[in-house]
Amino acid sequence: MKASARLLLSPAVRPFTIMVGTIAALGLIDRGTGYFFSVGTIFSVMQLFATLGLVALGLGLSMLVREFDLSVAGMMSLAGCIAVLTGGTSPWLGAGLGVGAGVLSGLLQGLIITRLGLSSVGVTLGGLLTLQGLTYVLAGNQTVSYPNMAVALGLNAPIAHLLSVRSAAALAVFMVAALVMTFTHIGRDIIATGSDRRASRIAGLNTDRIVIGVFAASGAASALAGVLLSYSLGAASPAGLSDVLAPAAAAAIVGGVSVVGGRGNALGIAAGVLTLCILRSGLSAIGVPPFVHDLVTGGILLVIAVLDAPDLARHMTAWRFSRAERLAHIFSKESRDGAAT
Amino acid sequence: MSVLAVAGITKRFGPNAVLKNVSLSLEAQEVRAICGENGAGKSTLVKIMTGLYAPDEGAVLLDDKPLAIESPQHAQQLGVALVAQELSLPPALSVLDNIWLGNREVPLFHRRAALRRQARAALDKLGLSDLALDTPVSALSIGRRQLVEIARMLTREARVFILDEPTATLSDVEIERIFAALRTLKAEGKSVIYITHRLGEVFEICDTVTVLRNGELIGTRPTSEIDRGTLMQMMLGRSMSEMYPRWDDKPGGAMLTVRQLRVPPLVHDFDLVAARGTVTCLAGQIGSGAITVLRALAGLIAGATGEVSVQGAPMRLRSVTKAQAANVQFISEDRAGEGLFLRLNAGQNLIATKLRDYCRFGILARHKLRRAAAKLATAVGVDLARLRSPADELSGGNQQKLAFGRWIGSERPGVLLMNEPTRGVDVGARAEIYRLIRQFCDQGYCIVMASSDIEEVLGMADVVVSMYRGRRVARYGRGEVDRQRLLADITHPVAAS
Amino acid sequence: MSELAVPGRRSRRLLGARQLGLTIRVAAIAAIAVFALSTPGFLSPLSINALLTAISFVGCVAVGMTFITLTGNIMSLALGATLSASALVFLASLSFGMVPAFLIAALFGTVITAAQGFLVGYFRANPILVSIAALSLLLGGAAFATGGHRIYPGGAGIEFFKARIAGVPVNAIIFFATVIVGQFVMSWTRIGRLMTMVGSNPRAAIAAGIDITATITIAYAIAGACAAIGGMLLAARYGSADMELGAGYDYSAIAAVLVGGTGISGGSGSAWRTFIGVIVIAVLEVVLLLRGFSEQLQYLITGLIVLGVIMLHALGERRQG
Repeated sequence: MKASARLLLSPAVRPFTIMVGTIAALGLIDRGTGYFFSVGTIFSVMQLFATLGLVALGLGLSMLVREFDLSVAGMMSLAGCIAVLTGGTSPWLGAGLGVGAGVLSGLLQGLIITRLGLSSVGVTLGGLLTLQGLTYVLAGNQTVSYPNMAVALGLNAPIAHLLSVRSAAALAVFMVAALVMTFTHIGRDIIATGSDRRASRIAGLNTDRIVIGVFAASGAASALAGVLLSYSLGAASPAGLSDVLAPAAAAAIVGGVSVVGGRGNALGIAAGVLTLCILRSGLSAIGVPPFVHDLVTGGILLVIAVLDAPDLARHMTAWRFSRAERLAHIFSKESRDGAAT
Repeated sequence: MSVLAVAGITKRFGPNAVLKNVSLSLEAQEVRAICGENGAGKSTLVKIMTGLYAPDEGAVLLDDKPLAIESPQHAQQLGVALVAQELSLPPALSVLDNIWLGNREVPLFHRRAALRRQARAALDKLGLSDLALDTPVSALSIGRRQLVEIARMLTREARVFILDEPTATLSDVEIERIFAALRTLKAEGKSVIYITHRLGEVFEICDTVTVLRNGELIGTRPTSEIDRGTLMQMMLGRSMSEMYPRWDDKPGGAMLTVRQLRVPPLVHDFDLVAARGTVTCLAGQIGSGAITVLRALAGLIAGATGEVSVQGAPMRLRSVTKAQAANVQFISEDRAGEGLFLRLNAGQNLIATKLRDYCRFGILARHKLRRAAAKLATAVGVDLARLRSPADELSGGNQQKLAFGRWIGSERPGVLLMNEPTRGVDVGARAEIYRLIRQFCDQGYCIVMASSDIEEVLGMADVVVSMYRGRRVARYGRGEVDRQRLLADITHPVAAS
Repeated sequence: MSELAVPGRRSRRLLGARQLGLTIRVAAIAAIAVFALSTPGFLSPLSINALLTAISFVGCVAVGMTFITLTGNIMSLALGATLSASALVFLASLSFGMVPAFLIAALFGTVITAAQGFLVGYFRANPILVSIAALSLLLGGAAFATGGHRIYPGGAGIEFFKARIAGVPVNAIIFFATVIVGQFVMSWTRIGRLMTMVGSNPRAAIAAGIDITATITIAYAIAGACAAIGGMLLAARYGSADMELGAGYDYSAIAAVLVGGTGISGGSGSAWRTFIGVIVIAVLEVVLLLRGFSEQLQYLITGLIVLGVIMLHALGERRQG
């Protein structure tokens, strides 16, 4: 019993435990009214997954190598904007340009970070503001609509009632990421870089190349998320930065990615994203006001931030010993008092 | 014809030249020892030969052709394999993945039976047949990690193998297995560079020995032509008395008493009594627990338990504040990481712990602070003109003086704990630091220092406590122990008597 | 890591980079000044007043953010939401009178941000994560408390913030005061020096016996108070508030901090530099607008300046080997 509990809470399995737990909890609250366990809910969960998932994947990849790519939020809106502006006649061209911009911005930021030895938060913050500015300039500070409605309808067309073309595409990207992480040495190199960059470098790994590659992949994933979203909405607008950053970070963290690097995988991130999407759709399906979702997300994030904090274990040990010492002190005093009387 | 050579290498870090015009060349099938004291420049030389550092002057030659080794990857491509002194195993990976990490011959899809087989064979050769390939490295002891490191080297197709102090944490049996592996490599026509502190190993396994001292090349000799004494003299280049101050015994009363100190998982039941006005040295190698004991006494380790008293008053462990309140001060072995505020200037570093004395209602008296900093700088011998330079622009010796200066000047002398006080300090500044330490003693401080440098221990200690694998081996008074005995204590002690 | 990342040859070449950085900074400020002064209409009282009012909101948050950056905790993504939430509290409690409302709102901002600082300081939890969590909690909590409605003043008193004293808007005076107090705390008090030390090297601070939990908590508390002040000024200006009020202010604030030349890695920074950063960005925006550039171009230019300054700053710090 205890061993199985430990397995369920071990870092590799924890995201799936949380996901199943969330489903069970919502199912209990729902108590068979059928609003929660419905095809419609699953479809809307997967639609949310398509948007949030790829951004979380990009951010999560950067966290795996112990960096933090804040620019994913800006990349998402910029790529959506590029796709809508250039993909009028050929959606593939627009998508290609959008994702290409993502790769380019990732490569540039990765190069700046590794060549100048800079903190990724600072660089990607500058990247975020720059990308956001570019989006404003391209969109002319207003919402740009996409004339090709067929694409929007096609992307949102259901597959087997549960998925849309869009969410299937996002799932496919996750599959590829999971395969690369598990079966190629690239996955091993990413974990090694995040686990101990100095050691990896001495072992002969070109960690700079890994970091640059991860930023390029992160840019591409978030760009793809933006392209898919803008196409399916039939519009792109240059707004809402933190709206996507906070849930993406939450999803990556719930998905078992450690902020200290070197722990996590693509499937875990997928489970983390699904948990958040299930919470959002599920809570609204059973009629809970939307702010509960914010509170629950914030609460989960806070708990995990503390659980993953480097000094938690230190304080726990110190508390334990201090209590033991205090008890010992009291006992010795009692026995002394006892002897005296 | 030489396989690998360096010619006229000079390397500086800031104002310090750590290597000065060093040249050496290595033949095929040669096992070369590089010896020198701490800070002689051995590890820097290795890092230049493996592309981690670029030399400021001079060149690296492969097969007599000069080339710039740009990175560790490039070195590997050229056939140079390294076992670094600091472990290079990312702890999140398994033993298998660590062995193949950074190897250029691993295919993209790397889950191959052949790779498992080769890794298994390398581990078996080092006597690790019980170690499962999928064990995460984070679960291994430091000694075993060192062996995995060597297994990784064995799987590399290289012509030159460089081992930087690979035996520091190993037992005799393990060391013997490594030697066997090295002999096989040699028989296969490979060359080896072997960096070590232990003179015995030089004569046992190496053909030739190169000695560095204070960044300079002293000479290269075949091991068959010299003896231990000659080698020692080449390494030291001076008599002990020039380096270490003389002093008279003025034993004071016990100041620091430690009983049953435990720091899981490393240190077990450690006892110590240190007297006022004396230097007590904990001698031990990496992993011996000597450094850990002092960190625990400084209040920096959460899991430490035991009874500690300072001048008879009990002191609580696990709290830096409590340790400081008991007048126990700590100088870290990791100057850059834990000792100094490198971006602040020298003056600010000196008064870092004294702000409370120079402020009123939380507002700093800045002119008084400046005066206090100047006074401390004079006391530890830091040039007043440097008070405004950022600490990272100072030499290692001056940085260490800043760390010293922080803890002196209080009304009542207390306990000073020092970990490796001369690490990264050049020979000239070292003598000055030793003089400072003695000076503190005369002022009534009780000094406890942990050191892996045997010469330093013998030159400075009133009392030597030798440590091995977290346990105390023996305690000696001044003059009661010699080099051989101490080396034996800290490397492979005879069963405790 | 720096030891490995910097090959020695590069370090010597960059030795002059610090001077170079300073020169470029001075030259850039001079260029902006010339550019601004030569722009017709820039010196008109109207434009100057608009500028002073505009900088005071983001300026207060930026001074607060400087404290977080100084202690090595990069930035908080929750200061914008703190600003909004404090504004809501301020307007709602105006029924108790202006001064009590001011104090309640300032206390509110201080306490919720100090709580984040405690988690960061005591457990060494990741500051960005903690701030994202706080952002979610603030948004959710505010939606719960207000039901998603706008909040209007519950009493009189906000006119005070719209007044002028000797021709200077009260907003701007409060901002200047924040800068002065912030600068005083950073460079003349013990706690300010402790913050610098904790930001420069937290491990060394622990070994030196500094209470890093208290230090970081106080830094966050000050940041929260500054954000709350910004929120009150903004609420007074618009006469109403919702959670959208401060959206994006965290990013603008950190941009100002970085443009001012504060290093993102902690241990350096001053309210005065942040003040310069705020002015530079604001002047550029006004000048671009006056010269007929579109509003959206401002965002792009701010982003590029931030990137440029970060890289420049890095070059200046590179030479530690």
